[in-house]
Amino acid sequence: MSALKRVQQWATFARIWHVYDAKWQNPFQSSLLLKKYLMGMHKPIYHPMNDCGDHVIVINSKEIALPGDEWKKRVYFHHTGYPGGATWTLAWELHSKDPTMVIKKAVYNSMDGNLQRRYTMQRLHIFPDENVPEELMKNVSNQIRGIKPVPKRLDHYSEQEVKEFPKIIDYPKDYVLR
Amino acid sequence: MVFTTAVNFIRARGPDEFWRKRKIFKIAAAFQGRKRNCYSIAIRYVHRALVYATKGRQLKKADMANLWETRVTAGCEEHGLPYADFREGLTKSNILLNRKTLADLACYEPHSFKALTNIAKQASVEGIAGLAKAPPLSGVRNRSNLK
Repeated sequence: MSALKRVQQWATFARIWHVYDAKWQNPFQSSLLLKKYLMGMHKPIYHPMNDCGDHVIVINSKEIALPGDEWKKRVYFHHTGYPGGATWTLAWELHSKDPTMVIKKAVYNSMDGNLQRRYTMQRLHIFPDENVPEELMKNVSNQIRGIKPVPKRLDHYSEQEVKEFPKIIDYPKDYVLR
Repeated sequence: MVFTTAVNFIRARGPDEFWRKRKIFKIAAAFQGRKRNCYSIAIRYVHRALVYATKGRQLKKADMANLWETRVTAGCEEHGLPYADFREGLTKSNILLNRKTLADLACYEPHSFKALTNIAKQASVEGIAGLAKAPPLSGVRNRSNLK
C-alpha cells in the first residue's frame, strides 16, 4: 500500500467529532439526526458491520424542548427485577433528576436493539450546559445544525424593538386589556 | 386418485432408504447436536432451513437495496441534496442508473458522484433547461482531458 493510499484510508476511517447544541430542540427529532452521525450513516462507506461511526457531543441538554404537554404526559418505565420493583417516572421528574437522561434515552431508543447499540452509545457525550472538558472539545471539527431555530423570548427583545414592531391597530384609550 | 401437483413428490419414497436419508444428512451436515445425526430430528430442521433459505433470497435483495439507499442518501446529503430530489433530477436528465451503481459511485468514485449531484441539482431546480448550466467539475478525469 502506497503512502498516499495509506493516508487516504486513515482519513476515510478517522472518527470525526461533532458538536450539537440541544437548546430548544426536540430530543426525539434530534435523536434521529444524531443517530445518523453516531452510526456513520452519513458516510457513503456505511455498512452495518463497518465501524465507521463518529463521536457527537451534545451541549445544553438542560434546555431541550419537548413538544406539547409531553413533560407531563411522557412516562419512563423502570423495573428493578424484584416484585413490586416497577417505577414510572414522568419526563419532567426525570429531567430534574438528570438533565442528560431524556435525550440519552431518546437516542438509545431510536436505534435498533443489537449488540452494537451499547458501543455506539459510548460515542455520545451529553452535557447539561456548555461546560465541556477541554480534552473533548479540542477534538471537535464540525457543528451539526439544529433542526429548528432557537426562538427568542419576548423579554429578550429590547423595548425599542417591541415598540417598533408592526401592528395592525392601536387599542383605544379606554379599552380594558384582560 | 391422480395427483397432478409436484407437492406430493415430497412424500414419495426413494429407491433406497440410505440414499434418501443421505440427501437430508448432507444438507444437515453443518447443524449442531442431534440435528445432524438423527434422521427424524434432522428432517424437521432441514425443512425449516429450506424455508429460511427461500425467504432469505428475497430478504437479501431487500437488505442490499436498503444499504444502497442509505449510502446514496449519505452521498447526496454531503452535497446538500435530498435523496428524492437527487433521483428525480437524474431521471429528468435521463441518467438511468440503478441504486447499486449509484451506491458504488458514492462509495468509490466521489468525484463522479459529485458531478451527478450537480446535474441533479440543476435538473430538479430548473428542469431540463438548466442542464447545460451544470458547472464542470475540476479533478475529474474523462475522455476530453485525457492525454
